Amino acid sequence: MPTINRIAYKNLRRKRLRSILTLFGITLSTWVLVSLLGFNQGYEKSLNSDIDNLGFQVLLTAKGCPYEAATLMMQGGAGLRYLPDSVLDDLSEHPEVIGLTPMLMQVAFDPHIGDTGGIAAYTGVDPRTFPGMKTYLEFAQGGWFEDPEALEAVIGYEAAELEQREVGDYLLIPDHDVELKVVGILKRSGTQDDGTVFVPYKALQKVFGVEGKLTSIGIRVDKDTNYSEFEEKLYELPDVQVVSMAQVKSTISNLVGTARIMVMSIALIAILIAMIGVMNTILMSVLERYQEIGIMKSMGASAMHIFRLIWTESVIICLLGGILGALLSIGLAAATEALIRYILPYSPKGSLIYIDLPLILRSIGIIVGIGLFSGIYPAYRAARVKPIEAIRSSEGEI
Amino acid sequence: MKKIYLLLLAVILLIPLYAAVGCDLNDPDRDVKRLFPGSTGYRTHYRSISREGGKALLDKVEARLGDKFSGLFETADVPYTLYEIYNGQNRIGYIHGVNQKGRYGGIQVFLVLDNQGTITNMYMQKLSGRNSTAFRAETFTKQFHGLTLADFESYDVVKRSGRGKAAAIKNPVSADVDFHHIMRGVKKNLVLMEHFGSWGSL
Repeated sequence: MPTINRIAYKNLRRKRLRSILTLFGITLSTWVLVSLLGFNQGYEKSLNSDIDNLGFQVLLTAKGCPYEAATLMMQGGAGLRYLPDSVLDDLSEHPEVIGLTPMLMQVAFDPHIGDTGGIAAYTGVDPRTFPGMKTYLEFAQGGWFEDPEALEAVIGYEAAELEQREVGDYLLIPDHDVELKVVGILKRSGTQDDGTVFVPYKALQKVFGVEGKLTSIGIRVDKDTNYSEFEEKLYELPDVQVVSMAQVKSTISNLVGTARIMVMSIALIAILIAMIGVMNTILMSVLERYQEIGIMKSMGASAMHIFRLIWTESVIICLLGGILGALLSIGLAAATEALIRYILPYSPKGSLIYIDLPLILRSIGIIVGIGLFSGIYPAYRAARVKPIEAIRSSEGEI
Repeated sequence: MKKIYLLLLAVILLIPLYAAVGCDLNDPDRDVKRLFPGSTGYRTHYRSISREGGKALLDKVEARLGDKFSGLFETADVPYTLYEIYNGQNRIGYIHGVNQKGRYGGIQVFLVLDNQGTITNMYMQKLSGRNSTAFRAETFTKQFHGLTLADFESYDVVKRSGRGKAAAIKNPVSADVDFHHIMRGVKKNLVLMEHFGSWGSL
């Protein structure tokens, strides 16, 4: 005896082209939905990873514009003002602080960059504390310098690749006629460190004549710390600006907020289109089978049987479309990511589209839910068909 | 839409280049005219040892060079950019650059060659160091004009000595080892052109 599911499946096959076109529409809608939801969670994850990879939760700089400081930190650029390195002693007295790393950023004009010269940036770091905060950094060649005053350098992968530098090479700071020996080349990390030249900060202070000065201090705090209270305490220090990772996250999230609203609106439109498509297909199918439904009812099918039959058709089409759309979104994730990176004003380094099983199940669930919802009206109309009227009428009179 | 296609194309093309860095002219339109004043146009070709002969070709190149390829950036999969220079419909020569490890990182040694593989001009696009001006000076680069690979055959890039015209080239700054790196870069460039150039026998 044929089951309702089997009859529903056969009905869909009877109008193959229409079913395929509806299926295609659902597939595309699911693709858009999965990709955009994947983007939402991937972006968040990558941004968090970028921030965590900074190795510290709070950055202290000399007083200035906080947005500028955040941008400089994310891009690895030069600070504008200096902090005295005595601030390190003041900070170490705070019980919340579990690690401190002083940093000094300096730039010099290098006539060998490009055709007309360019600016070379150097980041002074403390070999005793910085590597411990950047544990994700691995070396392609060599290792960290050990002496805080050594005229040595560790170069990020992209900076090394651009200049074709290897361990044992020398790096000339032209303005100061000082040579740094390259002791380490980092592996590609996918962070701003890839383009950075690290130098022991005390050596950099001497080379640039800024002894006792720092541009920033990275602070790792205890995980139970109340950030707001801690920030208030830090502001008691003279002429400092505190940039917490929470601020950085919020600034960047605000920057891309508009873009995210836009993409979620597109997802909503895609869902609406899918819903209308399903409703139209199933309603058309009900209209075409008006007499057939009447005959089924006259042979003993109840209103609930007819309702379930029509509803099942919507669910089948949405389930199949949902599965195909999810597969499509996985297959095209790389291309979608490239497109999003092109559109967004700032995008973190990691994977922007993160599609996992719960997301796929959730999306298919949404699409099947849409199918159930869209199928209610056609199923209701079909269930209300009066057998005698239906058999007497010509096709399409509902 | 065109931008999206170009973006996708760029993503696909850039994937294999992650492993190695080539040596392109910064501004080919300007540089070709400057280096080859008689030219009216050029064609760009992307060549590679790994694609065109693999290990066997690399062995031949190393044998002619007299040294092994070494380091992070001197590998068989480096993409080489070859500029074929034209005057009207006639090819009048080539411009080809190589990356060569120097004391201060990579040196980009470009050679301008006629159709027989004779150096007619030389250009070091990237060269860092205290004495870069001396190495870029015409008094130094002109010493290479008129030389071919044959003149470098007896120059040992490892021992940094030899006989003949190549060995007679004078180091403008006697204590600077980048001179030897430049010599190796020139020989490597000429050896590769034995494969890439129309006269090639490699």
